[in-house]
Amino acid sequence: MSRLEAKKPSVCESKPLTRERLRTTLSVLKGIVASCYGPSGRLKQLHNGAGGHVCTTSQSSALLRGLSVTHPVLKILTTSMQNHVSCFSDCGLFMAILCCNLIEYVEGIDLAPTTVIELNKQLLSLCTSYLKSEACACRIPVDFSSTQILLCLVRSILTSKPACMLTGKEVDHISALVLRAFLLTIPEKAEDHIILGKSIIVPLKGQRVIDSTVLPGMLIETSEVQLMRTLPIKKSSALKVALFCVSLSGDFSDTGEGTLAVSYGVSLESAVLDQLLNLGRQLVWDHIDLVICQKVIHPSLKQFLSTHHVIAIDRVGVALMEPLSKMTGTQPIGSLGSISPSSYGSVKDLCSAKFGSKHFFHLIPNEVAVSSLLLCNRNDTAWDELKLTCQTALHVLQLTIKEPFVFLGGGCTETHLAAYVRHKTLNEPGSILKDVGYTQTELHLIAEAFCSALESLAGSLEHDGGEILTDMKYGHFWSVQSHSPPVANWPDLLSRCGCGLHSNQEELSWSFLRSTHHPFVPQNSLPHEAASSANNLTLDCFTAKLSGLQVAVETANLILDLAYVIEDKN
Amino acid sequence: MAAVGCLKAALQVAEVLETIVSNCVGPEGRQVLCTKPTGEVLLSRDGGRLLEALHLEHPIARMVVACVSSHLKNSGDGAKTFIILLSHLLRGLDAATDKEKDSLVSENIQTHGRHWKNCCQWKFISQALLTFQEQVLDYFMDQCLSRHFLSVFSSSTQEKTLCRSSTELLLEAYFCGRVGRNNHKFISLLMCDYLFKCVAYNSRIEEVFELVDDYFAELNVGVIGLPVSDSRIVAGLVLHRDFSVYCPADGDIRVVIVTETIQPLFSSSGTEFVLNSEAQFQASQFWIMERTKTIMKYLQGQNVKLLLSRVKQPDLVIYYAELNGISVVECLSSAEVSLIQRITGLSPFVLPQTCSQHEVSNTALLKFCKPLILKSKRYVHLGLISTCLFIPHCIVLCGPVQGLVEQHEDALHGAFKMLWQLLKDLDLSYMTGADDQSYTSSPLIYKNSRESELLQEIGNDSIQRSYQGTVVKNKDKLVTVRTHLIVYSNLEIPGVELETYVPCSASKLTPADTHQTDDTLKCLSQNKTSIIDDHEPLIESKFTANSTTENTKIEMSYENVQVTKSVGKGNTLPVSCKSLESYCSSSIPAGCVLPVGGNFEILLHYYLLKYAKKCQQSEETIVSMVIANALLGIPKILYKSKKGNYSFPQIYIRTLHALQTNQPVLSTQTGLESVAGKYQLLNSVLQCLAKILTIDLVINIKRQPRKVYDQDSEDEL
Repeated sequence: MSRLEAKKPSVCESKPLTRERLRTTLSVLKGIVASCYGPSGRLKQLHNGAGGHVCTTSQSSALLRGLSVTHPVLKILTTSMQNHVSCFSDCGLFMAILCCNLIEYVEGIDLAPTTVIELNKQLLSLCTSYLKSEACACRIPVDFSSTQILLCLVRSILTSKPACMLTGKEVDHISALVLRAFLLTIPEKAEDHIILGKSIIVPLKGQRVIDSTVLPGMLIETSEVQLMRTLPIKKSSALKVALFCVSLSGDFSDTGEGTLAVSYGVSLESAVLDQLLNLGRQLVWDHIDLVICQKVIHPSLKQFLSTHHVIAIDRVGVALMEPLSKMTGTQPIGSLGSISPSSYGSVKDLCSAKFGSKHFFHLIPNEVAVSSLLLCNRNDTAWDELKLTCQTALHVLQLTIKEPFVFLGGGCTETHLAAYVRHKTLNEPGSILKDVGYTQTELHLIAEAFCSALESLAGSLEHDGGEILTDMKYGHFWSVQSHSPPVANWPDLLSRCGCGLHSNQEELSWSFLRSTHHPFVPQNSLPHEAASSANNLTLDCFTAKLSGLQVAVETANLILDLAYVIEDKN
Repeated sequence: MAAVGCLKAALQVAEVLETIVSNCVGPEGRQVLCTKPTGEVLLSRDGGRLLEALHLEHPIARMVVACVSSHLKNSGDGAKTFIILLSHLLRGLDAATDKEKDSLVSENIQTHGRHWKNCCQWKFISQALLTFQEQVLDYFMDQCLSRHFLSVFSSSTQEKTLCRSSTELLLEAYFCGRVGRNNHKFISLLMCDYLFKCVAYNSRIEEVFELVDDYFAELNVGVIGLPVSDSRIVAGLVLHRDFSVYCPADGDIRVVIVTETIQPLFSSSGTEFVLNSEAQFQASQFWIMERTKTIMKYLQGQNVKLLLSRVKQPDLVIYYAELNGISVVECLSSAEVSLIQRITGLSPFVLPQTCSQHEVSNTALLKFCKPLILKSKRYVHLGLISTCLFIPHCIVLCGPVQGLVEQHEDALHGAFKMLWQLLKDLDLSYMTGADDQSYTSSPLIYKNSRESELLQEIGNDSIQRSYQGTVVKNKDKLVTVRTHLIVYSNLEIPGVELETYVPCSASKLTPADTHQTDDTLKCLSQNKTSIIDDHEPLIESKFTANSTTENTKIEMSYENVQVTKSVGKGNTLPVSCKSLESYCSSSIPAGCVLPVGGNFEILLHYYLLKYAKKCQQSEETIVSMVIANALLGIPKILYKSKKGNYSFPQIYIRTLHALQTNQPVLSTQTGLESVAGKYQLLNSVLQCLAKILTIDLVINIKRQPRKVYDQDSEDEL
């Protein structure tokens, strides 16, 4: 028995939020995440100082994967952000900055934490019900008859990740590719409930970004030798496919719990090989053209199949099995004996493809539900970032199909929402305070902190010292370049608002975001037809942002509610 | 090293714990963040978990924690209140003994001697506490507090039917103390919905509670990364894994459970399979394949559409399952399997030797069987048709972080435990009788004898401590009790002998009855005359009844019950709250609740004070005063942040006034809490306190370096 040690007593810290240690670490974290936010966000380089992998990023998921936080309260914040990102891929930084802001702005207010939490919750429900309602002026319904909005959405995601190192032309190219790859995964036959296919990202590093492409069907990487040996095949009709999930290497693993005694001279290897060759004969007899195996195919069987002009592809791995089986209509075969003919499927064609220095089998399906996105980028780190961004974009497109709305991006949603909350709390405080017994003064204090947190979040988009303004009609976000000459007429400096919906041509009045200004009724923007036809809008994912807002407030409430931190020092 | 293990040390420890705990108690309480040694973070407001996370070193602290956890094992709630009450009691005792010490033990100069003396005194108090707990407390519960009780059962029907609105109030109050402020309303509604969706009839609810308690982990699914408000209830059972094969099916879906691999293996454990030729090997492989194929075909023929397996099935089985349109779920945990068995009554499928066409008996019907996607992860969702009272539903709990989801899960589980406890009758040791006829007088006698023993001890103690005057009195009482004892042992003998004794001991029986009513032993002499006056007709009628019927033991004691009951009724003030269904037993009936916000504490405080004024013996007075005052500590903390009309003094005065003038006690808060839980808590605290007081010295022994096996603190004492 190993030595048992008495457990060390834990360290109990009261009122963690008032501690200097937490405040400083929280502001450091906020500094990190806020400086990454938006298209002009600063990049972070993560490395371990011992010659390991270097990661240059401004994305929340990559950033936090490498970052280790020690303070338990920060751990709550970062895990909450990571969990959000794992659900929605997008709006991780949004969530983290908002959460930090909420904690920071509430700190100065001398109210009981329970009051703050309860009122924050009320304000959150005010926001969510507004954002979900028809009257919401900062969301646009998605028109699936044109690709305009979807393209804008993808482009906004790509431009908000500066570590991908894309030029404007490349952004256009990649966003078109991502959208095409996504559209290819929508099955042609519409049923009651659509099951989306999959788009597989194939790495191709060291090439120009412009060389990236999308192919319908699937690419399976192979060696040049094998490609030369097996191709070309000439066949006019579709190819018959058998897909094996069981190993065809002749191994014999599961014999049960008892012992297996083999008499001298009995060769199990040859017995198994016989069995495999029988299987091969059956496949040939069934006119199979293509055999794909998840695991390894025995060389003898491979040889046998190739002499009968059957192409064998092995070691495809478990990740590709599901899309393969879906695309070809096969059923993964788990038997070495009799195979039911219903398990076979087919592909339209099989051809070879060469991209860069890599060789691929290209399986072209009869019905496209799987697409391959070949992504190129100049170096490893930029490629990693681009891949992550494309995955995010694909996920966001899926979410958008489920809930066909998008938010105005570029900070406009945040400033608009803040204006809405200000207006509501000033003019209809009764409806917010209906069930909770708090005074209007308390509500105004908290609402001010809440709105400041939202506005400061929008302000985080500006990293170059420019001024941030908001118009007094729509409550949108406008920014002015720094170092511009001091002029009396602001509109001369402003061209378009953050999302790109409004221009300075309209008769608007502006005010500084950080200054105090009169609450106003944020008006509904242009009619939706005009919005959906407008080009170059900056848009955000509806589902991800809404959930990000909820999670941010919930997490902030959670942290504000802490009375003690008990750290187990064992 | 030896430390004086006494009140002061215990008080210090309890006060430290109290400061931590009092920030988390009640609706205004806040969260505590605990980190595990593995680096995970956990949010909690659960007192038990909090105390454990502290890893306390102080021996008395560890003893307190052990007491708390054993209390939690029984009732599942009240750890924080435990600590608060304990420290208030200790503080009260400290103050009381300080005063007494000045007056009593002043001659003794030697400090060490005084210490031992003190220990004797504390031991004495601790015994007084236990006596109090056994006798006085139960009496108060039954006689005084019971008329303030409300019930969670609907009063309209005779059967015990859970009332939805009361349950909501009860749960809301419970979750107020267990989960974060911004979620408690949502979670309590979720729990209430779940409860009423799961229960087939509102009446026989206990069975459901037992099942939910046993399989709570299987009945909820945690999803992290989503806001808490996305949590919901889904009908059917959600298994925490994905299909190995999913074949969409509708109509008549049958399910079987298997516990072994369907594909036969070459050899089972303990046997040897001898291979003599390649042909034999191939033939056996072929046989295995054919056999698997036949079984799966057979299952398909029986309309089986879903195969649930305890173990991982080989590829071959999966392949044939898919070919035959059978969905497969593998690697179920044993708990999941037994839950499914409990719900559907399905027993595992035994592989048939020959696959004839006869029906498979061990199948169950499903309403549906489909994948459920939560946060891009697939789960198996089964529409089981229940054969028991539990209608399967699952809770999907969402939260931004794992720690929060776990907290909600724990709180929900705790709420089920609390409700389950609430629906049980809780027996009190105080005897007024029971409403069923199976009452025997033997426990009565046992109790009396125990009382007299205790009394004897008390008497002896007081002799040792040379209390003038009381000694004689105690002796007197001892004598009277002994005579009662004789009376009661007479009761045990059959009716014929009973009749002979009745005329002679009639006068002695009367004080025995009153003694039972008040359960105090002290007021005997004063009350004697009046009570006799009150109940003479009753006793007379009793004796006539005895003479006419063959008076058996049961009847005799039943009559006793009648008497005591009417005594109780005589004293009873008009019922101030909503009246319950009538009950008359020495138990706290199932489903008894009181409004939250220290109602129980203030009520008990009031009655204890009243009692203490009547008490003559100083120990009794001290103990009841100390307990009465300590009880107020809880509402004090609950109303800490309230101002004006809702502040503690206001509420306290209003309640007392209402009690004195027999007006209904109005509560400012809407929630309800279980009386049985509160009662058990008070009992546990008193026991823990008694345990602390009996320790006089804590000796820290140096451990042998090689023999470090035992970490338990209690062995060091």
